[in-house]
Amino acid sequence: MAVSFQPIRSLLQTGTNTSSRWFSYIGLGIGVLLLLCSIQMFINIQQLLGGESARKEGYDFISISKTITNETMGQLEKNLFNENDIKDIASKPFVQGVSPLVANRFRVQLSAGDIIPFSTDMFLESLDNSFIDTVPPNFSWQEGQNYIPIVFSSDFLEIYNVFAPGYGLPQLSEATASQVVVYITCYGANGLQQTFRGSIVALSDRVNSIIVPKNFLDWANTKFGHAADVKASRLYIKTKDANNPDFLNYLQQKNYKVNKDKTKFGRVKQVLQGIFSGLGIFGLLVVILALMLFSFYLQLMIARSKDNLQLLLMLGYSPNWLSKNVSKQFIPVYILVVLVGLALTEGMQWAFHHFAMFDRPELSSLLHWTVLITSVVLIGLSLLTNYRMVKKLLYRLV
Amino acid sequence: MQLQIQQLLPVYFDSDHRNASEVWRKDLTFNKGEYVKIVAPSGSGKSSLMHFLYGLRNEYNGSILYNSQNIRQYTAEDFAAYRKDHVSMVFQDLRLFPEQTVYENIELKRQLNPFHPTEKIKEMAERLGIGNKLASKARICSYGEQQRVAIIRALMQPYDFLLLDEPFSHLDDINSQNAMQLMLEESKLRNAAIIFADLERIDYFPFTRLYHL
Repeated sequence: MAVSFQPIRSLLQTGTNTSSRWFSYIGLGIGVLLLLCSIQMFINIQQLLGGESARKEGYDFISISKTITNETMGQLEKNLFNENDIKDIASKPFVQGVSPLVANRFRVQLSAGDIIPFSTDMFLESLDNSFIDTVPPNFSWQEGQNYIPIVFSSDFLEIYNVFAPGYGLPQLSEATASQVVVYITCYGANGLQQTFRGSIVALSDRVNSIIVPKNFLDWANTKFGHAADVKASRLYIKTKDANNPDFLNYLQQKNYKVNKDKTKFGRVKQVLQGIFSGLGIFGLLVVILALMLFSFYLQLMIARSKDNLQLLLMLGYSPNWLSKNVSKQFIPVYILVVLVGLALTEGMQWAFHHFAMFDRPELSSLLHWTVLITSVVLIGLSLLTNYRMVKKLLYRLV
Repeated sequence: MQLQIQQLLPVYFDSDHRNASEVWRKDLTFNKGEYVKIVAPSGSGKSSLMHFLYGLRNEYNGSILYNSQNIRQYTAEDFAAYRKDHVSMVFQDLRLFPEQTVYENIELKRQLNPFHPTEKIKEMAERLGIGNKLASKARICSYGEQQRVAIIRALMQPYDFLLLDEPFSHLDDINSQNAMQLMLEESKLRNAAIIFADLERIDYFPFTRLYHL
């Protein structure tokens, strides 16, 4: 036989303090709205600014170098990455891989032979193959081999095509560029010199350099150069997200220079996420404050109905049953408040997507599932605190 | 079903009390079907005893056992079940909901563990002469009327023991006898015991045991 709560409801004197109840409902609503909106905006920012930079298998590849200042100028040691620096970077959780860009330590001259009368001092660099976006199968070198495959920056080709007409040189298409045979002359100490044949086997959008196979450069640095240890002026970093705030903070703290283009979204994202985190925390505080206000209201209500409740307990009403039923009175209100908050957040998201973002495909007009889960959690949380509060107060009357 | 008291004494009583009393500091066992009369002058701890037995207060030494279980160990939930199913009480100070009607006051107890259908409320009220008061708020009823409401309320549930604490203090003899008759009938229906505490002996209570507190 289910005991009816109906006749008991009138024993709970809600009395004159209805305004404080409404204040707590409104407060709760505002808090919920702020919290849900902040979470949704946080996610919007993630989705808008998450996948901006060039990715390979979901990773960002960016190059960093040490900032050369007036103090470090001329001190090669300070401007190059040593092994400890590399180890330190590799150990960071936000770095999935790191490879030094090793430059030549000897003089290199490049000429285009007889076809194009062009000759210039050049530089060569080598990088781990897995960091290069375009690695053809013939990108390899063995000792004794006279031919050197080159991966060339497509930016450099563009620059060449800009100045070539001024020097009376032919402009090159990407296809032609790979057919041009160039001569690479390496100069060592004591008049040592050797000329290799080379050609562009691939163009790279990612790496701004002239890349030759790693074992060739290592060999050449030993033969023509004077330093054999690995000291790189640039490092290539493989990371899940180049806009990761931890990563950017680390670079800043170490005073490393990074391609600003690749990370500028990260800065914006960092600032925006900071703002919305702040708003979210504020929303959470408002929710807590509203729940506290509500618990004061409950205390007042129970204090006013103390005699009646005590009498009910004395007649044999179970305190547990009473707590459940008293707190159950507020379930519809809580659910309504959160649902209204949720509906307003959905309206906000739709308006943001439609009017501010012009229906960009990265975003959705619907709320993200985390927002929905948060609202369910909020309902649960308010009901739980409510029930525990009522129970605690009622057991005090026993 | 037994209600036992063992060496019971309120903590606020000094030792003078126990020598004269036939209840305090004694071991007594009450069984179902018994009619126990406790005669107690003012200040002898009559209400204390009833409140102890009902589990409202626990400022006592010694122990009270219901079915061999010490009620001091009861949780709040246990007490709720104890008062709902096994022990009913008419309080000296009545303890009605002042803002509820007579009917609501009785129904609040009845619905908790109904022994009678709702029609019985009207029937009993008619019998005790308050049939026309059912729709009135309890607080505007006279003390004698309220006393009868409290009696009817106590009879709405199943019980093994009915505790009466000066239930007729504001009733005339005819009304008292009427109410007593009803309580005896109801208790017989449940084969329950009545423990009746009052200032003096009352002729129309056919007690089987008599104690002086």
